Amino acid sequence: MIELDVVLPLSRFRLGVKAALSSDTVAVLGPSGSGKTSLLEAIAGLRPKATGRIVIHDEVVMDTRVGVSIPPERRRIGYVPQDACLFPHLDVRGNVRFGMAKAGRSGLFDEAVAILEIAPLLDRFPATLSGGERQRVALARAIATEPRLLLLDEPLAAVDPELKGKILPYLLSVRDAMEIPFLYVTHNAGEARAVAHEALVLRQGAVVFAGAPDEALRSMSLVDPEARFDNILTGTLGAARAPGETGSLQVGEAMFAVPTEDSVRPGHRAVFSVAPDDVLVSTRPLVGISARNVHPGSVISREVSGATAWVRIAAGGLEWTSRLTRSAADELDLAPGHDVWIAVKTHAFRRLR
Amino acid sequence: MTPEDFSVLFLTLRVAALATLLILPFGIAAAYLLTRWRGIGRTFVETLLTLPLVLPPTAVGFLLLELLRGSGPIGRMLDEAGVELLFTWKAVVLATAVMSFPLLVRPALAAFEEVDPRLLGMARSLGSGRATVFVRVALPLAWRGILAGALLAFSRALGEFGATILVAGSIPGRTRTLALAIFQRTQIGQDGAALRLVAVVVVLAFGAVWTTELLTRRRVRRTEA
Repeated sequence: MIELDVVLPLSRFRLGVKAALSSDTVAVLGPSGSGKTSLLEAIAGLRPKATGRIVIHDEVVMDTRVGVSIPPERRRIGYVPQDACLFPHLDVRGNVRFGMAKAGRSGLFDEAVAILEIAPLLDRFPATLSGGERQRVALARAIATEPRLLLLDEPLAAVDPELKGKILPYLLSVRDAMEIPFLYVTHNAGEARAVAHEALVLRQGAVVFAGAPDEALRSMSLVDPEARFDNILTGTLGAARAPGETGSLQVGEAMFAVPTEDSVRPGHRAVFSVAPDDVLVSTRPLVGISARNVHPGSVISREVSGATAWVRIAAGGLEWTSRLTRSAADELDLAPGHDVWIAVKTHAFRRLR
Repeated sequence: MTPEDFSVLFLTLRVAALATLLILPFGIAAAYLLTRWRGIGRTFVETLLTLPLVLPPTAVGFLLLELLRGSGPIGRMLDEAGVELLFTWKAVVLATAVMSFPLLVRPALAAFEEVDPRLLGMARSLGSGRATVFVRVALPLAWRGILAGALLAFSRALGEFGATILVAGSIPGRTRTLALAIFQRTQIGQDGAALRLVAVVVVLAFGAVWTTELLTRRRVRRTEA
């Protein structure tokens, strides 16, 4: 339970965020410059000008009306900023150890290193790491301090998103292994769905939506032109039966054909992303089509934004987001409850980890 | 080099080293506090700390003399404590320390300014108090600039003349440093003897400034990388 009532004057506007978050996994969405990073910094205690009240699990971290503001070093909040902010004069080992109490839980270092898969990087210096590696080290450094809350700021990917560098799959692992509550800033509403139970959408420093990530999708397409709505699938890899065959991914009851990689390890957990543009929708059963993943389903919702239609579909035991042109959605009459088939090419599945 | 030359050289080196060590903690503290200080009055303090660089050294020496003489505010306290300062080697240390202070503070200030303040915030968020942040993050990232400043201050201390002669005189074997000895020898027409000391001081200063240059140059390269 996180209670936020934060006011912070910024150069462009005044950040005023009021929210009572009941879940431990929260996605913070909103366009660039809507105050998401400032909000995280205020919660971490790095914005001295912030006023208001912050309560984390019944503990008052800040309440400026009664003159309480715990300094950042005693807030026990792990912060992973966009640029990772690693200490350039320390190697990865030194960075991860930086915030560990001398009498801290032994094995925590090893655990953080294992979850984030940074063992091969331990002797390297930040200047030699890729952006994704830096984020992983920063996340390891944060969880090694046994924080009571994690704040993650996902960098806005460039035109061609560097999928391999995504922190999301690691955040999923941290969530499942360590049960640390977190606030995750992202532009990707699909990621928000995959990782969080609750979403907060900011615009111009104010909360325009708070609630279930699924419902956030609606306001997202209107609020954030850079927003992405990737479909995130977490499942178990199956073996390719013979060389030259595609791999398979089991998600719940459903099986999906996914690209084979050199490093396919059957039985391992894997996270894939499918762009909404790659989900085709048909109102008739699909036969004679090259796409390997064809599943029957039904329309959940349809949102129209300009010439674009965002259609939510339940199929194969999952919920999918598909982006169509508005005219296509109209022509197919994709109204909630209608039966449809979705088709996804094998190579539309892009492995995140 | 005569035994007298060596005695002058060692006195100078000792005094310059002591003066540099004396100002090091104050200079680092002043530079760091100034970088963290965003309030009004910062420029005033910065100007005040830089003043010895531009004032005539004799003016600084005169002010020190007024403060330290028996009737002066600090002189009285020293008297009561039984400390003899004026016209001893300690006065030379003090005078050179005051004159060298700006040369330490300015590069140190620049070095601390170069440290990304977000790294300091991050260190605090990771559980370090202000003092620990300084020791574990600010100091290791700024040490090049501080060392460069210390070397510049040391070079300046080697050649200090005006303030020293006012508060310490030019007593052979006690307060007569290189700069004072060169002056004294030219006054009595021993140009050859003066030249030997000039050569020594040129070599020393060259080495110190060159090292400073190397330190600052490497820092620039690392920032570009």
